[in-house]
Amino acid sequence: MKRACAVCGSLLLVMASGSFAAGESTVEELQREISDLKARLADLEALVANISAPRELRETAVLPAEKVAEVELAQAQPEADTAAIELGGALRFNVIHREDVDSSEGKRGESGLDVFRLNVDGAINNLLLSAEYRFYPYMDTIRYGWVGYQFEDDSVIQAGINQVPFGLLPYAAHNAWFGVPYYVGMADDYDMGVKYQREDGPWSGQVAFYKNEELNDAGNLDRYSYDLVLQGDQQNEEINQLNARLAYTFGKNTTCETELGGSLEAGQVYNNLSDERGDHRAYALHLDSRCGRWNFQLQGARYDYEVPDPPGVDDRVVRFGAFAGAYDVAAAGKVYVANVAYNFASPWRYIDSLTCYNDYSLLDKSLDGASDSQINTLGCAIGSGPLFTYVDYILARNMPFFGDGSLAGGGEDDWLGRLNINIGYYW
Amino acid sequence: MAGFSRRVLSVSLVAAMTTPRWRYAVLVCLCLALSPLRADTLNVVSWDGAYVKSQVLGFIRPFEEATGHRVNIIQHSGGVAEIRQQVRAWNVSWDVVDMELFDALRACREGLLEPLQVSLLTPAPDGTPASEDFIELDESACGVGNVVGSTVLGFRTDTFEQPPQQLEDLFDLQRFPGRRALRKSPKGNLEWALIADGVAPARVYEVLATEAGLERAFERLDSLKPHTEWWETGQQAIHLLESGQVAMASVYSGRVAAARERGQPLAMLWDHQIWFYDVWAIPRNGRNSELAREFVRFASSTDSLAAQARYIPYGPMRRSSLAALPPELRARLPTAPDNLSSALELDAHWWSEHLDTIGPRFRRWLERPVMVPRALPR
Repeated sequence: MKRACAVCGSLLLVMASGSFAAGESTVEELQREISDLKARLADLEALVANISAPRELRETAVLPAEKVAEVELAQAQPEADTAAIELGGALRFNVIHREDVDSSEGKRGESGLDVFRLNVDGAINNLLLSAEYRFYPYMDTIRYGWVGYQFEDDSVIQAGINQVPFGLLPYAAHNAWFGVPYYVGMADDYDMGVKYQREDGPWSGQVAFYKNEELNDAGNLDRYSYDLVLQGDQQNEEINQLNARLAYTFGKNTTCETELGGSLEAGQVYNNLSDERGDHRAYALHLDSRCGRWNFQLQGARYDYEVPDPPGVDDRVVRFGAFAGAYDVAAAGKVYVANVAYNFASPWRYIDSLTCYNDYSLLDKSLDGASDSQINTLGCAIGSGPLFTYVDYILARNMPFFGDGSLAGGGEDDWLGRLNINIGYYW
Repeated sequence: MAGFSRRVLSVSLVAAMTTPRWRYAVLVCLCLALSPLRADTLNVVSWDGAYVKSQVLGFIRPFEEATGHRVNIIQHSGGVAEIRQQVRAWNVSWDVVDMELFDALRACREGLLEPLQVSLLTPAPDGTPASEDFIELDESACGVGNVVGSTVLGFRTDTFEQPPQQLEDLFDLQRFPGRRALRKSPKGNLEWALIADGVAPARVYEVLATEAGLERAFERLDSLKPHTEWWETGQQAIHLLESGQVAMASVYSGRVAAARERGQPLAMLWDHQIWFYDVWAIPRNGRNSELAREFVRFASSTDSLAAQARYIPYGPMRRSSLAALPPELRARLPTAPDNLSSALELDAHWWSEHLDTIGPRFRRWLERPVMVPRALPR
């Protein structure tokens, strides 16, 4: 400070020697400039104070009135750019009792790790990111991972491993075990490609193109969603798939919303033995109604694989795989879904949500002599803070993982039961 | 004294300067020399959007010009937690706070605020003492009322063929479909829920004080919850309406007027408006208590309150300020007789006693679904 005053004093002396000839107009001009500079200095000081102040002090450090008006106008514009990437995940365990497995009966049930998963979700400005990686005791795999862009009209484009838009979304079941659509690759399926989705009032639509299944390695069974896999004599894989889904919601934003929609899927199948391309097609109609605390879901779907298998390979079935295993599925069939769920008011202060449901699904195979595959799950999903628990009693007939059940031929053609309690901590 | 010194120095410098190249050097020196003489800075905590704009234009800028002190405006969204933390730590950076009355009552009870005497306040221009000029002054010994604000039902005028006519239309999703926005707080929402459920405004707090009444209010809100965005600042509510993210919202009445001036297709209903007033309060243990009192005295003068009302249609707490406003503006205030016909006064005393129990319950209620969730955790 002393130095500043000394410099100023010197300057004053130097200038005073020849300065008094200045005219009155010059003095006024200088006074105006001083005023302007003072104002600018005040603004700069405010800016410096704002930058160095704690965050809460930065909000509106002294602004001229006209700038305040600008601030308010700016606040009225669409929200400012944001940057937020969040980490999440879950740790889940299963308690199981399988009625068709002697050892499970003998041990009075089993328990073990279901999955440990990590999630990354967020957006930097309009660029979106979402990914989930899962660790199972017997494999680890990516469930999905995509980057996206959100347009000003809120429509979104996603590129990467994303959910195939087909039928009831996001899931065709309420329970943890899912139903037939999942096990034939028609629900909660993820592939590698590009998807565009938008909403216009009651209308919602998605179109997508998938180059291939999610891992670009159809021989790898360590995957989350079911796809055609390369196993044994079955050497088919999904390529170049187009999807379109359109839905209309009656009573949108009312206490009774009913979505009615249709989905189309058409793609190619490449056979690694014959080096030829075949086709596959699927379509579905669905209804998803949320009235008060009730939810009713219906879906009818049809699919057909025309695979270029070499001679000697049974082309009436195709081989699906995931979760480190594979099984055959009828190459053509019809899938039906009928689900009902009810959300109960919390009966106890420690329960945040209680949803009970009955999910039923059926595969009608276009295969001579094959029995239908069916699965019915009665259960409840209970939320309590970060804990979420599914208590499901599953009855299945001719379903994989239940006795000798198969989605191709059949099985014991008997209903087999399983109690499945899935307890998860989510963060 | 400092002002006098500055003026003398300025005149000397101006006389000394002749050539342009020296002017800036001298001015830089002048700035450096004047910096230690800088006036005090006051941290004033207030709200956001059009409300704080009305304060800046109405009396904060005039206060700065009249006193030479600077005012930093800090935004908050209510509550007493921050004040409690600062006061208890004797590290108070908030000099003056614009508080909701029930928060001021709570903070006053906890000894977090300086007592404010009526003698602090200026009389009306005709000499009427402040104690008679203020509409209400004895609610909190720690706060001085400033303006009467109001929570009203706001809506987009381009969404409905028949615009909403009454509060009950907020809850009628069949006739008036569309997303809603409500304040993320039980205050006001529970009152509206009971009124929409048939409770007379005069009995709202009597009913709300019972477990059955509270349950009844939450059940009424259940129908809206899946279709509701929750806002925390008044500006967020307006933004949700302006951007079309919601069709109806609880909003502060003055914000709607400001949005309409910007050409936004918004309107509001006075039906069952919930009116309230804020107070100026001074946290204890602050370093700027005297300057803070000077600010409160200035901000609550007849001229200041009248000036603020010209920038946002909120009712001044002084009768003399109200009288100074043109009739057409008085008719737009929440306190206009026509607008008060079905109004409810937010019971600040009731909330100051019940918020600690109802607040956590409201937060738990927010987290609980009332429909089957579209996606359960997988």
